[in-house]
Amino acid sequence: MAIMGSFAFEEDFLTAAKKLKSSGFDKISLLSPLPLEEAQEILELGKSPVRHYSLAGAIIGAISGFAMATATALVFILPTGGRAIITVPPFLIITYEMTILFGVLFTLLGFHFVSGLPAWRDRPYLSSASSDRFVVVVEGAAADQVARAEAIIRDAGADEIQHVGEGQ
Amino acid sequence: MSTFVEKLRQYRKPGYYDKFDYHWTMTIDLDRCTGCEACMVACQAENNLPIVGEKRFAENREIKWIRIERYWEGEYPDVKMRFIPMLCQHCDDAPCETACPVFATYHNQDGLNTQIYNRCIGTRTCAVYCPYEVRYFNWFTYTWDEPLEQQLNPDVTVREKGVMEKCTFCIQRIRIAKDNAKDDDRRRVRDGEVVPACVQSCPTEALVFGNSNDPEAKVSKMMKNPRGYKVLEELNTTPSIVYLTKVHS
Amino acid sequence: MFDHGQPSYAEVNKDVLSVMLETGPKYWMLLGTTMSVAGICFFMPWIYQLFVGVGAAGMNRNAVWGSYLSNFIFWIGLSHSGTLLSAVLHITNSPWRKAIYRSAEAMTLFSLMTAAMFVMVHLGRVWFVHWSFPIPNQMGLWPNFRSPLMFDVMAITTYLTASSIFIYMGSVPDFAAVRDASTGLRRRLYTIFSFGWRGTAREWHTLGWAYTFFAIFVIPLAVSVHSIVSWDFALSIVPGLHHTIFAPYFVCGAIFSGTAGIVTVMYCLRKFLNFERYIGQVHLDSLGKLLITLSLIWSYINILELFSSWYGGTSFELEALQFKLTGFYAPLYWEMILFCAFVPLLILFKKIRWSWNKMLVISILINVGMLTERFIIVATSQPRKFLPDAFGFYFPSWIELSITVGAFAIFATLFLIFIKWVPAISIYEVKETLKPLRRDA
Repeated sequence: MAIMGSFAFEEDFLTAAKKLKSSGFDKISLLSPLPLEEAQEILELGKSPVRHYSLAGAIIGAISGFAMATATALVFILPTGGRAIITVPPFLIITYEMTILFGVLFTLLGFHFVSGLPAWRDRPYLSSASSDRFVVVVEGAAADQVARAEAIIRDAGADEIQHVGEGQ
Repeated sequence: MSTFVEKLRQYRKPGYYDKFDYHWTMTIDLDRCTGCEACMVACQAENNLPIVGEKRFAENREIKWIRIERYWEGEYPDVKMRFIPMLCQHCDDAPCETACPVFATYHNQDGLNTQIYNRCIGTRTCAVYCPYEVRYFNWFTYTWDEPLEQQLNPDVTVREKGVMEKCTFCIQRIRIAKDNAKDDDRRRVRDGEVVPACVQSCPTEALVFGNSNDPEAKVSKMMKNPRGYKVLEELNTTPSIVYLTKVHS
Repeated sequence: MFDHGQPSYAEVNKDVLSVMLETGPKYWMLLGTTMSVAGICFFMPWIYQLFVGVGAAGMNRNAVWGSYLSNFIFWIGLSHSGTLLSAVLHITNSPWRKAIYRSAEAMTLFSLMTAAMFVMVHLGRVWFVHWSFPIPNQMGLWPNFRSPLMFDVMAITTYLTASSIFIYMGSVPDFAAVRDASTGLRRRLYTIFSFGWRGTAREWHTLGWAYTFFAIFVIPLAVSVHSIVSWDFALSIVPGLHHTIFAPYFVCGAIFSGTAGIVTVMYCLRKFLNFERYIGQVHLDSLGKLLITLSLIWSYINILELFSSWYGGTSFELEALQFKLTGFYAPLYWEMILFCAFVPLLILFKKIRWSWNKMLVISILINVGMLTERFIIVATSQPRKFLPDAFGFYFPSWIELSITVGAFAIFATLFLIFIKWVPAISIYEVKETLKPLRRDA
């Protein structure tokens, strides 16, 4: 059972979120049509773990870039232009590009892992949330807590409250 | 492990080779050169160079691995003409080799700057990087009218469109000479055994070819001539061709 | 920020999405035109050239590089402003970025694709182009990572990947908006495109972090890409190309021409998609100031390049310099100086900077100047290197001119397809610039 309250005003929505959080509701989703820093602060999201993926990707990219250039140069020994076989300056350019390529790809991966997307299953959602509505979703509330959550949402100024089955 | 480290260290060395097996070198005595262009014709016949025709020639798309450059000196009537045969200099530090993304050109163990036609994808970067302008591109697939295709050299490939080509120092003749040396249980090719087409056809013997690693070879002796110089030496491409300057009276 | 009053959140969605959801006959006519121009001017000559050989173009023995390569640099340059500008402005948190960055990034992506097409057209044996990628092939041979062209392959692949990811990830919330505003097949497609985005605080949070990291990666990448393109030239020993100034010169020129390209694209978006409300005076003003700055840097580097050639004093460099300034292509050179160094100075006047029509003319002139700049780099230096006997001359053939024109049609086609598939203005970021609706207001 999930309770979904939809707001027209950002401030009301944030008030409801704050109150729900302080009343001990943990599984709150705050749906908004634009990123709201306040909402992220209420949920205490802090620094995202995505940054670890970026760092890991960049390091792996740097190592594999230089390794690729070196290893492929050693497959066949083909001297060119009087240069050494393992020529560091040009290989550093390859390293540089691979650092960025892997950094970007790992950041993308990190985004998918951390955000839980893609999630094509049905989840509590109002289609107007991508336009101009702010939606609070409380999930996993015990049966006796449902009324309390509903009251908080209504008091904050929600125009519309729905009960939706979870995971449908 | 130690051999691995040793190898890696070796691979880090600029130039990579301490010494080539053979260092094929040519000397061109400009004092002897008459500008007769026999070398150009010989090269054309030996290496299956296409005859591009009048129209393509006017478009500056002819292919001649060796060419005689003409330079005029002075004003009419006191005018002199100088010749200089220009062919691939087989530079030890060739700018063209580093440019190729697919290793279609590289330096082999004989000190030759080789061109592998079927690996070439036609970026033409090597021709831009070459300061001697001795790389020629196949702008079209050229054909030989009957019965001219009968005179093609079977030892040399015919190149298709989109491929770069250049002087190989008649690598097919070098290969044959090396094979013969092996068959005779000799390990080395004798001096004078390899003669590229241009050298063979030079009526004044202005061109001398040989292995400059061998101090007894004729070419090594010619290189010591005080008249010797290398073209565009200041670019540090270390060419394998030594020119002997003309003696001015 | 808004010239005609502030729109509401729902109006933003409606305005931006209506461009995607409502398609008139005019659009189809325009798309048909650009597609047929691309087909006739680009692909037909190219197919002819594939059968005949690159000799169909005007290049010859001494001038082995021609307009294909100068067009390649031009299109890579044009790609340089979108993603780079977007990333820099994202990190510095400039609000005026938000309305224009989506189409600027699209410009990056499509001009990069056009540039990649020119590599294909340039190659002598394009059917073996996969040999230049580090993928195993039947020869067991790997590409030569010492070659500046391999730097190019790596840089452009990375750039193409990174900028497509950058634009895609920035659009995910907007794909969700499209999904919610549509029905049927489109809805199903955009459900997939948007990854089931709901816009929860956690999703916004993750996207924000990931996006910032994309921006951080993209900035050094974009700078490296055009440096590397410049090294295709500067790593040769050709007089007139062998300059250390080339990398900053190319990067600056690239951003310059890209910014001018953004002005042109913004003009078209405003004019034809009725985005007057979102793309306003602020954007024009900021882009104008950026253009002046870049033009001054560009002029400075140009003077420096001439100076170092002259000061170096080798006969080869002086010869190349003389040919550039007074030779056959000198009129083109001075045209470039006029369009790229002097015309942008007009932007200093507020009257000109604030007029869309005048800025459109200036931005197009700048890009004409930049196109010729690239042509001059290719056409004046490498046909005339060291040996005077081998001096050549290059003039493009009609096939090259046709392909040059066709490339613009390819770009336009891709852009027209883009505006129907991706919201051309970032919906959620425009909302960020609006004042939030208050109960008491």
